Order: sequence, then C-alpha cells, then structure tokens
Amino acid sequence: MSQAARTPLAGDALDAALARLLAIGTFAGVGLLAIGVGLMAVAGRSPLDPKAQFDLGRLPVDVMAGRPEGVLWLGLLVVIATPSARVAASLAGFARAGERAMVAVSAAILLVIAVGVIIGTALGESAA
Amino acid sequence: MLGAGAGAGLFGSLLGLGGGTLIVPLLTLGFGLPLRDAVGVSLVAVIVTSSASASVFLQRHAANLRLGMTLELFTATGAIVGGIVAFALDVRLLAGLFAALLVYVGLSMVLRRGAPPAEAEGIAAAADDDPPAAGAVLDDTARAGPGQGVAARLSGPGYRVHRLGAGVAGSLFAGVVSALLGIGGGTVKVPLMHLAMGVPLRVATATSNLMMGVTASASAVIYLLRGGIDPYVAGPTAIGVFVGASIGSRVVHRIDLRVLRLLFTVVLLYTAFQMARKALG
Repeated sequence: MSQAARTPLAGDALDAALARLLAIGTFAGVGLLAIGVGLMAVAGRSPLDPKAQFDLGRLPVDVMAGRPEGVLWLGLLVVIATPSARVAASLAGFARAGERAMVAVSAAILLVIAVGVIIGTALGESAA
Repeated sequence: MLGAGAGAGLFGSLLGLGGGTLIVPLLTLGFGLPLRDAVGVSLVAVIVTSSASASVFLQRHAANLRLGMTLELFTATGAIVGGIVAFALDVRLLAGLFAALLVYVGLSMVLRRGAPPAEAEGIAAAADDDPPAAGAVLDDTARAGPGQGVAARLSGPGYRVHRLGAGVAGSLFAGVVSALLGIGGGTVKVPLMHLAMGVPLRVATATSNLMMGVTASASAVIYLLRGGIDPYVAGPTAIGVFVGASIGSRVVHRIDLRVLRLLFTVVLLYTAFQMARKALG
C-alpha cells in the first residue's frame, strides 16, 4: 500500500494514539514505582536488602496490603508491558486501516514476546 | 540509588548515551550488584526512557513506525536469544564484553565531531528535517529489485529505504547485544539505518528509540521470570533515570558538551579498565 493510499487512522492519527498510550503507560509505571519507593522508605527497606522474588500469585495480596515489593512489581509489570501494549494497539490500528502486511508484522512481534514469556517461565521453573 | 539513576539519566541524555551504558557499571562497580542483576535493572530503565521518548517522537511524527516495527520483529527475536544466552554465559565473559563496549563508546565520543548522539537523544529531543545518508534513493523511479516493494512501503517522505536484508541482520545482532549487556542498542541501530539503509539521521534516531522498548521488554521478561530483576534496585534506578533524562533533555542546549564529553571519555575508559579487571577475575 502506498503512503498516499493509507487511511488517516494508520498515519498521523495512529502515531498520536500510540504516543498517548506510551505516555500513559510510562507515567502509570513510573508513578507506581515512585509509590513503591515511598513505601520502601516508610518500611525502612534499602535497595541493597535481599532481593524479593517475583510471584504473580502473591501480587494482588501484596499490592492490596501496601507492601513495597508488591507495588514495585506492579510498576515494573506496567513498564515492561507498555511497549507490547503499543504493538497491540498498532495491530488494531493497522487492521482497521486494512494494512495486512503490518498486521502480520505486529502479530509476529506479539508472538515473539509470548515465546519469550513461555521460555522465561520454563527456564525460571527449571532454575527454581 | 535514586541519585545514581538520576546521574546516569542526566549524563546519558547530555552525552547521547543510553542509560544502560552507564547504569550497568555504576550498579556493578559502585553498589556491588551482580552483573546479571545490573543488566536486568538496566533493561527496565531502557524501557522507561524509550517509552517516554518514543511518545514524543511519535507525537511529532519523527519516527518511522512501519520501519521500526518491521525491524523490531528481529531485534525482539535477537533479544530473546540474548536473554537465554546471558544466563548461560560466564559472568566474566559478560564483563569483558561490557568493557569492550565501553572502550568502543569512549573512543566514538572522542572521534565524533559534532555528530548527533547515536544511542538516545533524550526524552524531549526535537525532530527536524535532515538529509538522508549518502547513497539514499530519493525518487520513486528507482530501479526495482528483490525486496523493493517491501522497502518502498517502509520508506518515508523524502527518502527511500534500501538494503533491508542488512537491516534485518543488524537488528538481530542489536537485539542480542541489548539483552546481553542491558543497553538500548542504538549504537548499532542508528548507524545501520542511517548509513546502510539510507534513513535520515533524525528519523533513524527516533525510530531506534521507538524500537528499544519492545527489544528491551522481550529480554526483560526473561530476566524477570528467571529472577534477574531486583525490584528494590529497579524502582529507584528507573525513577532516577527518568528524572535525570528529563532534566538533561531540557538543559542539553545550554551546556558546552565538548569538555564534558572529554571528561566523560576518561571516566568511561577507566570504567572499562575496571570491568576488564572484573573479567579477568
């Protein structure tokens, strides 16, 4: 598809929508990390304390209890997921604009990231 | 650690280096963090700065979204390979690789003559028009060849992308390096897009920033699930880098960077020496 044939949704409007998404994700993630660091200070935790292990099952409980590690993990998850959310939003935008090649590229990127999650989980379990 | 992150973000922004180049040695040599944990934390910082700066670049239509996404398919693939390999490699080898990276970046800073930074231009970097690299094809009557249809779709106003195969290979390499060393990989991607693919430098820089987020997140997931990210270190460091990079992007035009660059080159080379000592045990 030539540039001229692109619909506005897959051009400037998509850029603007993705920019907003990235800004929201960044500020949400950094905001949660800031709250987590504040809770660290209140709890008297040092960055050099023994490492907290990631446990998705415990995350909601830790966040609700206001534990620093819970809020920090949530912030880190938001930070790490923001670029993938941008890719997912791009996929939707390209799909609505009928740019099939870019839909395929976006889907392939999400697939690669999903493979990373599966590999990471498998390696994490084997290391534990 | 907040201050260390802010310092890394500030100087990284002023000198055009990604946070990772500075954060990893700072956490390893300054705070005694294991190298692999420092790389995991650095990847988080890279995602934060990439998302923030990519937001600005997209808002200004400075980044080439289609080219960036096509190449980040390969940087993400490379990052997953790098994320797996990073846990299999001897830490001393990783330290040696990082020392080599620091020497390369330090020498690049000495040899650079006013060229815009390659790794990251800071959160509020402005985008403007600049000429494509020598050899870039500007007209639509260019001779068609294999991959030209795809390349044409990925081209932007005033320039035409070429040598897509080199872009794919280079992106895979950049992804592996990013995951192994916790850097954004702009030192590989920007010259690749600009010199090999004919993308204007400002567009290449903006597009590289866009790609860093997905690249770093692909390997950060592996680090996270393998216990390679410490939230107590990552939280303060990421906030510090975010704040430092924001300040740096606002004051960069008011500072004479020549002296700062020279001093920092000395610091980088000294840090490379320390990392090399770590590599040698």
